[in-house]
Amino acid sequence: MSEMDTGLDFSMVIASTVHDMKNALATLIQAHGQWSGRLSDAQRDTPEHGVIDYEFANLNGMLVQLLGLYKLGVNQLPLRPDYHELDDFIEAQLALHHEVLSSRGITATYKVNSSNPLGFFDRELIGSVVANIIINAIRFARRTVVINVAEAPDGLVITINDDGPGYPLQMLERQSDYVQGINQASGSTGLGLYFAARIAESHERNGIQGRIEIANGGSLGGGLFSIYLP
Amino acid sequence: MLAYNQKSFLIVDDFSDFRSSVRSMLRELGVKDVDTADTGEQALRMCAQKRYDFVLHDFNLGDGKKNGQHVLEDLMVDKLLSHESVFIMVTAENSQAMVMSALEWEPDAYLTKPFNRAGLAQRLEKLVQRKTLLKPILQALDRGKPAEVLAACTALINQDQRYAPLCLRYKADALRDLNQHDALEAFLKSILADRATPWAYAALGNLLFKRNKVSEAQLVFEQALKAFSTMPALYDGLADVLVARGDSKRAQEVLEAAVRLSPLAVRRQRLLGKLALDNEDFESASKAYRHAVAQGQHSRFKDPEANLGFAQALISKNGDQGLDSRSRVELNQTLSEVAKEHGSDQGLQVRTRLMKATSLQLSDPEAAAKLTEDAMGRLQGMDQFLSADAALVVAAQLQKLGQEDAGADVLKSCAEIYGDDPAVMQSIAKQTDDPAILGAGKAAMDLNLQGVRSYKAGSLPQARDFFRNALALQPKNISIALNLAQSLLHAKDSTPDAANLQECQTCLKMVGNMPDSDPRYDRFQKLQSRAFGA
Repeated sequence: MSEMDTGLDFSMVIASTVHDMKNALATLIQAHGQWSGRLSDAQRDTPEHGVIDYEFANLNGMLVQLLGLYKLGVNQLPLRPDYHELDDFIEAQLALHHEVLSSRGITATYKVNSSNPLGFFDRELIGSVVANIIINAIRFARRTVVINVAEAPDGLVITINDDGPGYPLQMLERQSDYVQGINQASGSTGLGLYFAARIAESHERNGIQGRIEIANGGSLGGGLFSIYLP
Repeated sequence: MLAYNQKSFLIVDDFSDFRSSVRSMLRELGVKDVDTADTGEQALRMCAQKRYDFVLHDFNLGDGKKNGQHVLEDLMVDKLLSHESVFIMVTAENSQAMVMSALEWEPDAYLTKPFNRAGLAQRLEKLVQRKTLLKPILQALDRGKPAEVLAACTALINQDQRYAPLCLRYKADALRDLNQHDALEAFLKSILADRATPWAYAALGNLLFKRNKVSEAQLVFEQALKAFSTMPALYDGLADVLVARGDSKRAQEVLEAAVRLSPLAVRRQRLLGKLALDNEDFESASKAYRHAVAQGQHSRFKDPEANLGFAQALISKNGDQGLDSRSRVELNQTLSEVAKEHGSDQGLQVRTRLMKATSLQLSDPEAAAKLTEDAMGRLQGMDQFLSADAALVVAAQLQKLGQEDAGADVLKSCAEIYGDDPAVMQSIAKQTDDPAILGAGKAAMDLNLQGVRSYKAGSLPQARDFFRNALALQPKNISIALNLAQSLLHAKDSTPDAANLQECQTCLKMVGNMPDSDPRYDRFQKLQSRAFGA
C-alpha cells in the first residue's frame, strides 16, 4: 500500500500496539490457565497465584479501556444496543472473573430485582465497564462483592457493592470532575470513571441519557458504584 | 449443568495452542465429540459432512484467508448449519462493529479472548436455554417458511410477553420475506418509536428505499446515523439512496466513511470503486477495487466486475502516459483471473480482451490489435446480452481502439435491449449522435406504453397486440419481451391456449440472454417457471 504518511500518528501507534499487547496477554492468560489447571490444589492456592490472576485481569481491563478511550477519541466507538437477558449478562461477568474471585477468597453474588428479564444496552461496552468496576471492587473488598440489577424510574440500574473501605472522600466529592474528564491525572480509577460515564451517556432513550454515580455504603458498607441505563 | 456428552463441537482457530486449550475446557465440561479445523475452508467442508451443534469460530484466521464472517455467511446461505445450532464468534478484542461488515448474518454470541472454562460454560448454557426457548421459530427458519416463523413468534409472545423483544427481529425478517410491506413498515416504526434500535433503522430505510420512498428513506438513514455513527450498514443504505438520487459524489463520501469503520466488506468496496470511477476519482477507485478483488478471493461475494473495474481504474488513473510497471502487473493478474475462471462466459471473455487491448494500445499496438480482433470475433457470435454498463464500456473501448463501426453496433444493440431506460439512453447519447441509434426505439417505446395502459385497463388482447408490434420493431428489448410474455400468461385461472404459450416461450427464450445481474431477472425467472412449468 502506498498510503504512508511522513509523520507518525502517535495515538494510532499506541492503539495498534495496545491491540497487539492485548493479543499477547490473551495468549499468556490462556496458557497460564491451562498450566494452572494441571496443578494440585496445594500448589495452586498460593498468594502469588492470587496476584498473578488479579493482575492479569487488571491488565486486560486497562488495555480494553485504553482501546475504548482511543476509539472514543476518534469517534469510532461502536455502539450497538440490543435486548439482553440481565441474569445472563451478570452471570457471564462473574464467570469471567471466577479465578480471580476464588484465588482472592471473595464471594460474589448477584440479584436481579426486575420484573423485566431483559435490558436494552450494548453488551460489550457495558460489559467492559462492569468488568473494570468488578476488578476495582476485588482490589478493595475484604470478603464479599454483590451485584444488583433493579428497575429505576427511567430504566434500570446496575450496582456493584463491596465490603471494603469505600471510595476516598475526596473522590466522592469531586466525582463530577472525573466524569467530565477534568481530573485526568488521577490514575486508573479516575480514568475508569470517565470511561464508564461516557459509555453510560452514549445510551440514550427519548432524550434521557445514561449516567453513573459513586457512593459509599450499600448493604455491604463499602464502595457502591451505580450505572443507570434508560 | 447441561449434558454436553451427546453434542458435537467444532473449534476453528489457526493457533493450535488455542484449539487445544478450548478442547480441554470442553472435555472438562463433559464434551466427547470435538473436531477442530485451522482454516475456514476446512470448517466449511466439515460442516458439509456433519451436523454440528456448536461452532466456536475465531474471527481472524490470518491475512488473505477466509475470516469468521465469510464462513458464517457461507454456512447460512448454503444451509450447512441449522438455526438451532450455536455459532460463537471468538474475537481478539471488543470489536463487534469492526468485525461486522453487514447485518445480515450475525453469530449467536461473541466471546472475547481470553476466556476461561467458567466463562465458556456459562455462555454455552445460556445459549442453549435461549435456543430452546426459541425452538419453534428456529425450526420454522430451517424449513424456510416465513409464515410459520410469524406464527411461532406470536405463540411465543402469547406464552410469555416478557420475551417479546427477542422475537422482534425474527418477525421483521419474516414480514420482509413475505413481502408484507405495509405491515413491516408499521412494525418497524413502532419499534423505533419505543427505542432507537440500529437494525430496525437499517431495515426501515431499506424497506422505504425498496418501496421507492427515496426521500423518506434518506431521512431515516440520516437520523439513524446521528444516533449510531459507527454502524457501517447504515452508511451502505444511505449511499444506495444517494446513488438513486443521482448524487454519486456524496454517495462516495458516505461509503468512504463506512470503509474507514469497516474495511472488510467486498460489496461495499466494489460499489465504492464503481462510484469513484463514475466520479472520475481514479486513485480512490483503484484503491477500493484493489480491496474488493483481494477480499473477494475468500468471499461468496466475489465478482468478476470488481476485477474489470479494477483494470479500468488502473488504466484511467495512468491516463495517456500508459501504465507503470506495478499497475501493469496488477492489471494482468486481475484480468487473467477473470479469463481463467469464466472461460465459458463469452461476455466476460470479450470484455477482458478489450480491457487488455486498451491497456496495451500505446505500448504494444500490435498485441492490442490482435486482442481487439479476437474480441470482435467473439462478439459477432454472441447471443448473451451485455449489461448496459458493460456495453457502454465495450463500445467506448472499441471506438478508442479504432473500431468505430463495431463500437456503433454495440451501442445500437444496447439501445435496442435497454432503450426504455432513459438513463441508459442518456449515456449512449454521450458516445454517439447518430439518430439511427438514438431514435430507433421511439416508436416501439410508445407502443409499449400503450400496451401497459391497455393491460392495466384490463383489455388483454389489445395489450398483446401493442406489445407484439413493439417487439417486432425492437426484438431484443427486455422490458417489451417480458411485458408480452406476462400478458400472454395473464389468465391466471385458465391455462393459456397452446399458441399463446408457445409465443410466450419463444419470447422468454430470447430474453433469457439477459445478464442475471439485471434487476428484472427475478421477474424473468418467475415468468419462465410459469411458462415452462415448474
